[in-house]
Amino acid sequence: MTDTIQYAKRRFEAVKRSIVGDRDEESTLLAGREGNAGVHLQLWFLVTLVVFPIFIAVVVSTKQQGIVTSLPDLIPGTYAVENYREAIVDYGFGRFMWNSLLMSVVVVVGKLVISVLAAVAIVYYRVPYKDLVFLFVLFTLLLPVPIRFVPLFQLINDLGWGNSLLAITVPYLASATTVFILRQHFLSIPTSIVETAKLDGVGPVAFTLRVLIPMSRGVLVGVSIIMFVYAWNQYLWPLVIIDSEANQVAQVGLQLLQGDVQGGQLSWSLVMAGSVLTLLPPLALMILFRKPLLETFAIQQK
Amino acid sequence: MSTREIFDGRLQAALLLVPTVLVSVVFLYYPTARAFRTSFFKAGFGRAEEFVGLENYATLLTNSSYHSSVALSVLFAALVVAGVIVVSLYVTFLIHEVDSGQDWYLISVIWPYALPPAVAALVFLFVLHPTLGVLTGPIEAVGIDLDWFNDGPQAFVVVVLAAIWKQIGYNVIFMIAAMNNVPNALTETAEIDGVGRFRRLVSVYVPIMTPTLFFLVIINTIYAFFGTFAFVDLLTSGGPSNATNILIFDLYREAFSYFNFGVASTKSVVLFLVVAVLMVIQFRLTEEYSYYGA
Amino acid sequence: MTSNNDSTREISRRSTLATAGAALGATTGLAGCMGTLGGSEAEFSPVADELTAWHAMGGTNGETLDAIASDFEAEHGIEANMEFQDSYENVLTNTLSAFDSGNVADMFQVDSLFAQQVFDTDQVRSVAEILPDDFDTDVFLDNVTEFFTVDGELASLPFNNSNAIMYINRDAFEEAGLDPDDPPSTLAEVRSASETLVDEGVTQYGITWPNHVWFVETWYGFEGELMTDAENGHAGDPSEFYTPDAVYDLYDWWKGMADDGLYTNPGIEAWGEATSLFISEESAMVLTSTASVAGLIADSEDFTVDAAPYPSISDTRVGPVIGGASFYVPDGLPEDRYEEIGRLLQYMAQPEVQTEWHKGSGYYPITQPSVDALREEGWFEENPMYNVALEQLQNGDASDPATKRALLGPARNVQTVIQDKSVDAINADDPASELEAMKSEVESVLAEYYE
Repeated sequence: MTDTIQYAKRRFEAVKRSIVGDRDEESTLLAGREGNAGVHLQLWFLVTLVVFPIFIAVVVSTKQQGIVTSLPDLIPGTYAVENYREAIVDYGFGRFMWNSLLMSVVVVVGKLVISVLAAVAIVYYRVPYKDLVFLFVLFTLLLPVPIRFVPLFQLINDLGWGNSLLAITVPYLASATTVFILRQHFLSIPTSIVETAKLDGVGPVAFTLRVLIPMSRGVLVGVSIIMFVYAWNQYLWPLVIIDSEANQVAQVGLQLLQGDVQGGQLSWSLVMAGSVLTLLPPLALMILFRKPLLETFAIQQK
Repeated sequence: MSTREIFDGRLQAALLLVPTVLVSVVFLYYPTARAFRTSFFKAGFGRAEEFVGLENYATLLTNSSYHSSVALSVLFAALVVAGVIVVSLYVTFLIHEVDSGQDWYLISVIWPYALPPAVAALVFLFVLHPTLGVLTGPIEAVGIDLDWFNDGPQAFVVVVLAAIWKQIGYNVIFMIAAMNNVPNALTETAEIDGVGRFRRLVSVYVPIMTPTLFFLVIINTIYAFFGTFAFVDLLTSGGPSNATNILIFDLYREAFSYFNFGVASTKSVVLFLVVAVLMVIQFRLTEEYSYYGA
Repeated sequence: MTSNNDSTREISRRSTLATAGAALGATTGLAGCMGTLGGSEAEFSPVADELTAWHAMGGTNGETLDAIASDFEAEHGIEANMEFQDSYENVLTNTLSAFDSGNVADMFQVDSLFAQQVFDTDQVRSVAEILPDDFDTDVFLDNVTEFFTVDGELASLPFNNSNAIMYINRDAFEEAGLDPDDPPSTLAEVRSASETLVDEGVTQYGITWPNHVWFVETWYGFEGELMTDAENGHAGDPSEFYTPDAVYDLYDWWKGMADDGLYTNPGIEAWGEATSLFISEESAMVLTSTASVAGLIADSEDFTVDAAPYPSISDTRVGPVIGGASFYVPDGLPEDRYEEIGRLLQYMAQPEVQTEWHKGSGYYPITQPSVDALREEGWFEENPMYNVALEQLQNGDASDPATKRALLGPARNVQTVIQDKSVDAINADDPASELEAMKSEVESVLAEYYE
């Protein structure tokens, strides 16, 4: 049985490559084209525009606390350690980062588990009305937090979850996007594998753990990154529902940091240090796992 | 197709679906329904709810500043969507065309996907601050008087730019995949026919990429309406003179600054309807196009 | 009667759901992360075991507050935690939402602007009932007591109180040939000083201040004009917003200053930006709270800063409105907490603490004993800047209702309208029509709330 699966997996990879497109082949084709200096120049210009604001943030976060108001001031300073320490320790940014991490990890793990379950049911079970269920889940795309945040706020408070980790995780657990991507991916697994599994009498649990999950590693990593970035970047809902500093997340913590430093001294250096810290986790994950992320996006669009 | 459905247990299937359905019902559908209900009440903290019928809707219908907020949001969404699509398409094309360093360029433009809106807003505030900003000097040297704490249209532009910046990465990710899927044969034919580079983008790639572009228009519209709260909150607080008071910010302020839950719920309902209508229009257009394109 | 039934039902619905919430939390494996749930007779449960106060004091003032809390802890063995909430607006929002959720802080610092909104919840207990019996409420300065007493009882603990004053850059004044010892005291004088500063190329702008309703209120107060009927809301429900001639003069002046590049708008509620402009010597004068005095002295490394009374619209100087905030305590916490809260409140009003707070922040000392103590040690002679606001307050006519800050139910909403319309007025060709719009918008907000 393993052999069959191995074979099918290779075939599946081949199919996927043909879908995503073979880049190597194309690169050789492109090499012959004229005017590449101009293309490079334009790209450099655009890349600079896109990166510049963050570059400034990084530079300012290393400078002595004070005022940076002009371009010539943009020489990296030597106060990086001090600024980051101050933001993390004195202004409690470490705590905010930890809360964000906790929130994001809980959302990713929770969403992943319940979405895999739902996708398995939708793809591999013969039950009536499952398309309707799928539509029901998909429709939630039109119900983002702002549509429902007043009642949601009251509901969370009624549940006694106000100001807790539950409030900023559980409402995010149902995910149309994740269920959708997993469904698409499961549908792209060749039926031959599925049929083999059936002939071998593999039960649903073994099938999910031994066949589906090993064959979906890339997609699972990809959706995890998507969910992590999504959860980490949430701003409005934590702003509304979390009201103690101890439980606040980094996005809202930034606002606190800005207010706090401006209340007394002027310190854009600290605010920028906080901004860089807040950007780092999602950025690092995205760069590290860009391959599975891009492949997962390719699925989402179909 | 049916061969994939290898398991029969209805109870099992139901159990697998329960968590997703339960969370959807409790935290998505139920609050939405309650928002519809509250839109017919006068409500707030520590206040007994009072049924007012359609009064909240009537209030919004006659409130001219709310009308301008609706118009503003539509304009905002249009500019953000158009800006994101055009910039991303051009960047993607350049990356597609370039002979070396593709991976490097790609990472350099798609990273804003991971950029938190709150960070984007604060960095923009710092860079373009009318009096203290790092870029303010150079921009004013070109002859533009940066004054977006007073000047409504300027503030609007600043928020639009920040919103576009954050969304480029996501769009390029999809566009590069779509552009790489254009058959090489087509590109070669175009080159043999002596079609210029830019015209190749417009008349060969764009039509083939249409499904992706429509998908992105929809995603970007949702983003422009719902994902841009942090920009307004941190950059302009809706001002000056309500010039950046887009629906989502207006809604937040009604609910959590003024505590008028009834009117806020009405605004939620209107926001939902506006976006739903836009979605329907966009899906119609997509279908129509696919019909003629087929 | 009806509302009583409603609230009982409300509470029972809440507790049923809370049980369900606990169960759901447990099944999702997150129960360990949850705070304590209700279940006792108390209507509210505290956000944490230690005493928690929500405040809006950023920067050095926040640090001073933390120091006060740890001194209290050392002295009384009661843990207290001062939690920064970004702004008065956020403290208000979080407090009202906490009343809804049932998990509340033990104390919360409310800007006097929002006092009415807090009273209207009927969820606060007057501090007079909580303070230990041996506490003498007469220690507060008259003007302060006047404002914070409701129905004959001290409703909240006045703590950080301030006026708006003007800070000037002495070096810039001298460079422009102005006399820093004779700073402008009316709007007309501010304008002519600004013209000189800008014409001489000393600073880019003459003056700036955060676009916050407090400054407008202060101008009303000095002019002896009420903002609304019912004595600024102290004698009933207000319905009318007054725009006397002096206010038209104010906006004409404001617009003229903006048009001629003598004033720059740092943004709505942009306290930090306004002081930044002053520190970076873009503007030679700034109107802001006396609470900024310590920070401004520390940050103005390149020049000498000085403080001056608030410039009034005309020569009339009735008095400033009291700004700043007081600490409120919710009603309905477990009874045993009130004793500890009372001790913290008492501690915060002690002369030594008030003196420490005053020196660390610039908010004026609000109890007579601490004023006396400071006078005795010669503090004000050595630090005259700290005296400006206190003197301004004591020179004011506290009996004039115009100097009592407006108590409006929908204060946050009115505040936003005034701030937004102020920007409109300085951008409009004719500020008068924007003022009329301001009046009618404020009045419709009032009508909506009090209907």
